[in-house]
Amino acid sequence: MYNDYFSVDSILAENQKIQCTFKHKIPDMGHLGGGSDRDIAELQKVQLPVWLAYTVLYSQWAEFNIPMPFNQKVRNALQADACSVRLSNLVGAGGTWYGFGKTIMDIMDDEKAAGLSQTLSSAFRLRVLEIIDQAHHFATLGSASGSGHKTHDVAQVFREGLDVTEREVFALAQESARKTKRWNENH
Amino acid sequence: MALPNSLRTSTTPPELELIATQQLIEIIPLVSMEKTVFISGAYGPLRPPNKAQVPLWIAVNLKMKRKCHIVPPSWFTVDYLQDRLSLETSNPAFSELPFRYMEISKILLDVASDDLEQPDKLRSLLKDLREARQAKSREGLKQLDHSELSVYSPPLPVIVSTTDALVQLPNLSAMEINEIRPYFVESMSILSKLALPPQPGV
Repeated sequence: MYNDYFSVDSILAENQKIQCTFKHKIPDMGHLGGGSDRDIAELQKVQLPVWLAYTVLYSQWAEFNIPMPFNQKVRNALQADACSVRLSNLVGAGGTWYGFGKTIMDIMDDEKAAGLSQTLSSAFRLRVLEIIDQAHHFATLGSASGSGHKTHDVAQVFREGLDVTEREVFALAQESARKTKRWNENH
Repeated sequence: MALPNSLRTSTTPPELELIATQQLIEIIPLVSMEKTVFISGAYGPLRPPNKAQVPLWIAVNLKMKRKCHIVPPSWFTVDYLQDRLSLETSNPAFSELPFRYMEISKILLDVASDDLEQPDKLRSLLKDLREARQAKSREGLKQLDHSELSVYSPPLPVIVSTTDALVQLPNLSAMEINEIRPYFVESMSILSKLALPPQPGV
């Protein structure tokens, strides 16, 4: 899904920007990341999309900082209560938090990558249960009563905070529960 | 792929029901029929007072024309299911039930409820069983790990104690597997992507 050349998910994941700090002065490259200066100065910070950052980072021209969606604050929040973090807000609409995390993981050194991998998997594992529960709940509701009363409860906040990857799991679970239910009830 | 999205993830419940109708079941025919050859094999002859073994779909067909009584399988009785239910609720593992029990019991309840003893009781027992088992597969989801189907063994951060209900798929029935398949598979594939790739040479 995330490393596949033809995968739309992976293109979206690589479209996220990360902050890079250039280690050297690079002449005539000020346009990278939409800057207006002619040169990139030493220690200048530039927001680059991940697909562009690969080359820059591998050639040792710059270093990158851990992006905001994976910083210590978010990690602490996830550790405290994984279900209360709104992942969709961290990466913007249509963004995949997990996909972004995965791409970041690939350019990190092993030790940090292990930590991030741990964070991502445990977040998913903790959240998936709630996702499936809610998917089943919505599958048992009739299509008419789907968007009824309960507007601002915890469940809805959680649902709105799902990232794209989780939404897919939600849809799969809901569809399969709905199919089984329909079969159980007809005749 | 030309297959519509909804059919790609898994077989549909009606398809599973169709597969289940291939299974043999005992009937007491009310009409006589010579041995007849079908694509799946030869069945019969039907001699009215004697029981005969036929596939479920023939049994259903005859039953709808009131030409037979269906003898419920040995597991489809109140006593047996009650017994399973108590096992199910006292034991963390899935209890042993026929692989296609959901499909067959549904067909029998739909078509031949007059041949069953206490069909309402059976129905509610099946419902209880299903709920108990669903709760277990939900527990299984908690323990979900990308490594279960993968070839390499990563360091396991999950604490696995013997009392935990692990994902114990033995005895899970066809319909239940079918229901959990799409999102179990997707979740495992996501987890396997989030796990670190195996280090070369380790």
